[in-house]
Amino acid sequence: MKHEEITQFLLEELKRKGADDVILQLGSGETTLIKFVNNKISTTKTWESTNLSIFATKNQKIVTSSLRTFDKETAKKSAENIIRSLARMQPNKNFKGIAQGPFKYTKEQDCYDPKVEALNEEMVDMVKQAIDTAKKKAKRSSGTLEKTSAESYLLTSNNVEAHERGTGLYFAIRTLIDKNSSGYGSCISRMKNKIKIQEATEHATHIAQLSKGPKIAMSGSFDVIFAPHAIAAIVDRFADNASIFSVESGLSCLKNQLGKKIANPLVTIYDDPTRANGYGSTPYDAEGTPTQKTSIVEKGVFKNYLHNASTARRYKVKSTGNAGLISPRAFSPVLKEGKYNKEELFRQVKKGIYITNVWYTRFQNHETGDFSTIPRDGAFYIENGKIKKPLKDIRISENILKILKNISALGKETTQIKSWEVDTPTTVPYTLIKNINITKPN
Amino acid sequence: MDEDLAHFSIDQARKLGASYAEARLESTTANSLVMKNGAIEASSFDHFGGIGIRFIVNKKLGFVSTNELSKNKIITILEKAIRITKATKTMGENISLSKERTEKARYEVKQKKKLADIGVEDKISLLQKAEKAIQSTKVKVPSRYVVLSDTDTKEYFTNSDGSRIFAHVPKMNFYYFLTINANNKTTQRYWVYGASGGWEQVEKWNIPKIFSEEVTSMNNILRKGIKTPQGIMPIVCGPQVSGIMAHESCGHPFEADRILGREAAQAGESYVQLAMKGKKMASSIVSIADDPTIANSYGYFLYDNEGVKAKRKLLIKDGKVNEFLQNRETAFQLKTKSNGSSRASDFEKEPIIRMSNTFMLPGDYKEEELFEGIKKGIYMKNFMEWNIDDKRLNQKYTGAEAYLIENGEISTPVISPILEVSSLKMYPAVDAMGNNLELHAGDCGKGEPMQGIPVTLGGPSIRLQGLRIK
Repeated sequence: MKHEEITQFLLEELKRKGADDVILQLGSGETTLIKFVNNKISTTKTWESTNLSIFATKNQKIVTSSLRTFDKETAKKSAENIIRSLARMQPNKNFKGIAQGPFKYTKEQDCYDPKVEALNEEMVDMVKQAIDTAKKKAKRSSGTLEKTSAESYLLTSNNVEAHERGTGLYFAIRTLIDKNSSGYGSCISRMKNKIKIQEATEHATHIAQLSKGPKIAMSGSFDVIFAPHAIAAIVDRFADNASIFSVESGLSCLKNQLGKKIANPLVTIYDDPTRANGYGSTPYDAEGTPTQKTSIVEKGVFKNYLHNASTARRYKVKSTGNAGLISPRAFSPVLKEGKYNKEELFRQVKKGIYITNVWYTRFQNHETGDFSTIPRDGAFYIENGKIKKPLKDIRISENILKILKNISALGKETTQIKSWEVDTPTTVPYTLIKNINITKPN
Repeated sequence: MDEDLAHFSIDQARKLGASYAEARLESTTANSLVMKNGAIEASSFDHFGGIGIRFIVNKKLGFVSTNELSKNKIITILEKAIRITKATKTMGENISLSKERTEKARYEVKQKKKLADIGVEDKISLLQKAEKAIQSTKVKVPSRYVVLSDTDTKEYFTNSDGSRIFAHVPKMNFYYFLTINANNKTTQRYWVYGASGGWEQVEKWNIPKIFSEEVTSMNNILRKGIKTPQGIMPIVCGPQVSGIMAHESCGHPFEADRILGREAAQAGESYVQLAMKGKKMASSIVSIADDPTIANSYGYFLYDNEGVKAKRKLLIKDGKVNEFLQNRETAFQLKTKSNGSSRASDFEKEPIIRMSNTFMLPGDYKEEELFEGIKKGIYMKNFMEWNIDDKRLNQKYTGAEAYLIENGEISTPVISPILEVSSLKMYPAVDAMGNNLELHAGDCGKGEPMQGIPVTLGGPSIRLQGLRIK
């Protein structure tokens, strides 16, 4: 309560001293992480913090800051410093103001669980069970189990006052049969009874087992089945491209693409932070606009950039409720499911490759979409729908727009993925893509 | 900075049963200025800090942090953290730390022009000069995204062995991302500059000159660049490329925690095995150092985050595997001493093995001498896209500014030459080393939660033989 009072006091101080728009985000949270390595817990980590993020404008000048000491004197000084800084700044002519409240918010479904919040020593048992499961078939396993609980309070100069409380569980495991044969699995949930640690562990172990034995390197053009972890890394990057801020900064392949056919008609991608038990779900964005499901690609056609209130005014559209404090961003991208089960997808591949995970995705040119990414963990050569041989030393050297055009079949089940490589929780099915350029080293 | 709070934390951890404890108090002021397409987007100023406490209880390792600097809070969080660490008794790895010297020191990086005296107006003025420098080239640069930032960090470290170290290190960073357009084609280029010290370091970079040279060169590549000829040919790589090679395929795989599997589920393991120590893996002219003690470097420190004195390490010496990056945990396991490679990105993170300033040692040749005798080859001055697999073997560098070498001289620009090569083939292929050592800044990522940390990567221009260009 004390912190909220200081937040309200700071808003009044900033307004009194002449600020135009003010956004104050009070957040407090605690995270506990258990890291396990080679079948043993190597460390336990807990970090907690309370922080008030400040966004203030005057005459289109923008300053951000934060407050971590919660008393009136510090808040007063902070307001003075911000106003002084604003006076010395230059206006950003592109800034068109923050969202105007009040707003009504829909209550999030399954995003807070007191049973997650209360977890501490019990996490050790959860990790033990995973290690024991993996040990039955794999030589060693490493990974993390992380629990987060957080609360936030949003207050703006434009009639927004909102509260949010959430919890989260994130589990990741890499199992190894030998140094060169590994599998990866991860799962996320806001609710304790929906976290699928056993399933993630069994998936990782299964992939590790499949990848046993001598491996071959291949290069050329192949039809590739991407498992959810692999395609999520690409969809996550693609969703970043939809932010209007990325477009203006040269970090997007979607410049001048609005309304154009950019993908196979099978492809529908949207941002949906309203999903129940969604790891990226939030009832409102950084300036208080209610979040919504926003279509990015619909049946192959590029539909919307992601906006905050200011960029929306500039482009004469409605905010999509994707504000960060400075730039809009996707919260929870989804590649919509198709109609095939996994076996049916595999049956469509005569000679191709199955990639279970990737990392280190880097672009040569964000506007053209030229990039490469490296498979890690099990990757396999497929013949007539069957896994024939594990692969090694391969790289996907591709173009993101070409990939979207070449998606030829989608699985009928989706999974929300967050991993060491996938920052934004991204929901995807198994995906079959034709003619992927695979390269190998000297 | 209330150093007694750090001592209190250690005493408290000991009272709760810890056999070892260390505390790291941090206080950082941070400023940043973002300019997008010539308009100042936003400026930010911040002050943050807190305390991170690491402890060993019943031989198990734990860590806890808070940004609320009160004794009551520290007591509460330590009790909870020690409870979960004790609960790992049957599953936890027994951790011991190597015995190291107790250190007592206070050090500071001097600023000739104090960052605190540089106003946001000065920074805006510098970025506007850079903007004008681009305009004066007449090159079309439709997107310009730049961030100029600085941090001033005071850190106090103490542990139950009796070490007490205070460090005051200001650092600054300049990031740019440019899109150049000509003949209906675009090319892009990003790079980072970083240093420790005062504003004089930023002035040394000469940001307007960096911009005018960068856009002029890239415009030339766009307008005159030809398709890269493919095949096996000599390649000369500039310092930015030799630097990223040293970082990715030597620095990372030489981290002892990766070799032992501690990062398996995150950044991965390593192609390097403990048994490779002393074995030849590169041509004998290749030596690679990691040295945090280089004055005004971006990866600078004199004591690491376990209180161990920093020093220069030779990871590869005369082509042979010489030394791994160690902290006290891996040093104990491997029956050696820590070489001061433990770093945490901030008080909220556990210290883990990290690089500092990692670079290939220079040779005797002038850069132009490396081209001599090459009938047909490629000069890759810098790069854009790069990546490497999780064992650090299979890497790819795609050139940004690159040229043909013909009859011993640089000739036509080429578009995006690709070197995709295994580390085990790349290092033996180095046959000549330039004398033009450069250190470049980078933010290196590792750990979970992710810890981005300032490093430099560097080297001279180098020549490689017998590799395929795509």
